[in-house]
Amino acid sequence: MRKTLAVVGIVTVAAAAAFVVGGRDVATAQGGGTVEVEVKYNGAPVVEKLKVNKDTQKCGTEAVIEKVVVGGNKGLAHAVASVPAAKGGKAVKGVLDQKGCKFVPHVVVMSPGELEIKNSDDILHNIHTYSTANAAINKAQPKFKKTMTEKFEKPEVIKVTCDVHSWMLGWIAVTPGPAAVTDANGVAKITDVPAGKQKVEVWHETLGKQEKDVDVKAGQTTKVTFEMKGK
Amino acid sequence: MPLGSSRAVFAQAGDAGAGKAVYERKCALCHGEKGDGKGPATELLVPRPRDFTSGLYKIRSTLNKTPTDQDIFNVVTNGMPGTSMPDWKVLPERDRWNLVAYIKAFAGDKLKDAPKKVDLPKEVASSAESLKRGKEMFEAIECNKCHGNEGRADGPSRPELKDEWGQPVAPANLAKRWTFRGGKDRKEIATRLAVGVLGTPMPAFLEAVEKPEDIWHVTNYVISLGEEPKFATLVTVTATKDAIPDDPAAEFWSKVPPSYLPLMGQVIIDPRNFNPSIDLVTVRGAWNEREIVFQLTWDDPTESKPDAAKKIFADAIALQFPPKITPGPERPYFLMGDDSDAVYLLRWEQGKGVMEATANGPAKIKAIAGGEVNGKIVYKDGRYRLVMRRALAATGDDRPTFQPGVFTPVAFQAWDGGEGETGVRMSLTSWYYLHLEEPQSNRRFVVPPVVALLTLAAMVLVVRAANRRR
Repeated sequence: MRKTLAVVGIVTVAAAAAFVVGGRDVATAQGGGTVEVEVKYNGAPVVEKLKVNKDTQKCGTEAVIEKVVVGGNKGLAHAVASVPAAKGGKAVKGVLDQKGCKFVPHVVVMSPGELEIKNSDDILHNIHTYSTANAAINKAQPKFKKTMTEKFEKPEVIKVTCDVHSWMLGWIAVTPGPAAVTDANGVAKITDVPAGKQKVEVWHETLGKQEKDVDVKAGQTTKVTFEMKGK
Repeated sequence: MPLGSSRAVFAQAGDAGAGKAVYERKCALCHGEKGDGKGPATELLVPRPRDFTSGLYKIRSTLNKTPTDQDIFNVVTNGMPGTSMPDWKVLPERDRWNLVAYIKAFAGDKLKDAPKKVDLPKEVASSAESLKRGKEMFEAIECNKCHGNEGRADGPSRPELKDEWGQPVAPANLAKRWTFRGGKDRKEIATRLAVGVLGTPMPAFLEAVEKPEDIWHVTNYVISLGEEPKFATLVTVTATKDAIPDDPAAEFWSKVPPSYLPLMGQVIIDPRNFNPSIDLVTVRGAWNEREIVFQLTWDDPTESKPDAAKKIFADAIALQFPPKITPGPERPYFLMGDDSDAVYLLRWEQGKGVMEATANGPAKIKAIAGGEVNGKIVYKDGRYRLVMRRALAATGDDRPTFQPGVFTPVAFQAWDGGEGETGVRMSLTSWYYLHLEEPQSNRRFVVPPVVALLTLAAMVLVVRAANRRR
């Protein structure tokens, strides 16, 4: 009897939660704005190179490990700009490819849910994730397994490596709110951000995290600039 | 969860409080009082003892991170071959279950998810067909990337492999399944392949084979890569009338019965070698009226390119004999002799080739001028094969003469330079005996028939004599 009551209780709470989330969804879609985030970095790029001793047909003879990529106008690439508190919004499905013995894109942004993982290389890779909130996985993806799907339900930035090719490094940013990754010039456009005061967060794999308050206006683009500091 | 199964789990669940006392007596020295893998002995151990607070268990039969209680119980009970973790069968079963409960508690809520036990596909027995498919799949899923073409842990990714804590970690030598951390049985091997080895680069292959049953085909193939050796107590050298080939890969050697000898790390003199790389050498010997020839086979994951700056040294191996073979139990000190009694070595070293040497201890090796040994070495797929030949008879005080029918002391030393082994950092055996088999002469075809004929003749004579007397 007690069990039945508990089940009923859980169902009720879940239904209520779904209603609230659903309601917010509608609000976001109606009054969203865009935040254009520019991330700058005054330091030098950090690049490591490694001689490749296998699979050179697919991987090339030299692996380039780009830890800090600085583009035109001191823009920092591969930084994740997000509005973590703005839940709901459009769900973004993540797609991560392994191509040329690299993770493409280097940083994939996704909503909590499924990630499609492709292997375009025709050689063995293994998806080895380092996570705490989500279950860490280490799954082989041989050449004949062109695609597989994994679930990442909890917000977290997850490191991904391949043990077969130790230089391969990628990141999966699971974000509940709208998010984008900076391009080669250090610019990321976050769309569908609910209007009003929002906290924008920028994360970079080696340079850390920063936060800023931004006043988002519906139907308009608000610009904000971040300056990352070397560690 | 059905009530029945939850009761079964409860029946096995140990008492963490009782486990604490056992833990502190038996486990804390390596795993640390707090279970963080930082006991007083930790620094000496490779691989490092498990940090139970991380909640990360290498050997598990589950799809998620949480091992079953049985998984932990099995490791406590059976130990982990190839590591410092011994088996704890000496402890009463109750104590081991109590330990499981206590150990799990160190991880706090990191093990809060219930274990999701893997459902292995239906078992497929080994057969020629299964082995064929297993090899095909072994190649398709590229086990060789880490484990090497023949599974001898010599794959191209080997030098890059790191564990969860950033420590270098070696792939398993699949041709030596008796050294597998999680056990050598079929089901254990299939389980490791299916769910991977957590905290290491070994990924899960359950969904990464073409058909579910391929897990079993690959398992069968892995088992076929190496037979568990029966260690020798006596090294027999086969007698032959034929010429003995130089080529270590010659057909001849496959017909010579092997002697398998286990090697141990040298732990008497500093620097001690607690984690020797070479743990087995296979010896075949043959002799004819002129010479004695040895074929040695051993696994070494790298054909080292010596570079002192990178702590890479020359690979080497040696057979050791007393300089004079005398009857009686007197032998030089097994660890390459001492100041008063030298030993004689037949030695191969990378870059130097084969040589005869005398030693008065590991630091005092001297090549014998005008040595007459020669040989040939082949390295392929993580394995050395070496042939060394020498005349049976020898001149000089420091070189033994080999004689059939005499028990000759012999010992072995090996160095894996790629793993930093050089000087006294070696693996070795104590003294064994070498026995040159007596040649099988043609007399066995002549003498018995002659005796038989003579006996018959004598009988005929006796019968005739008896008849005549009547």
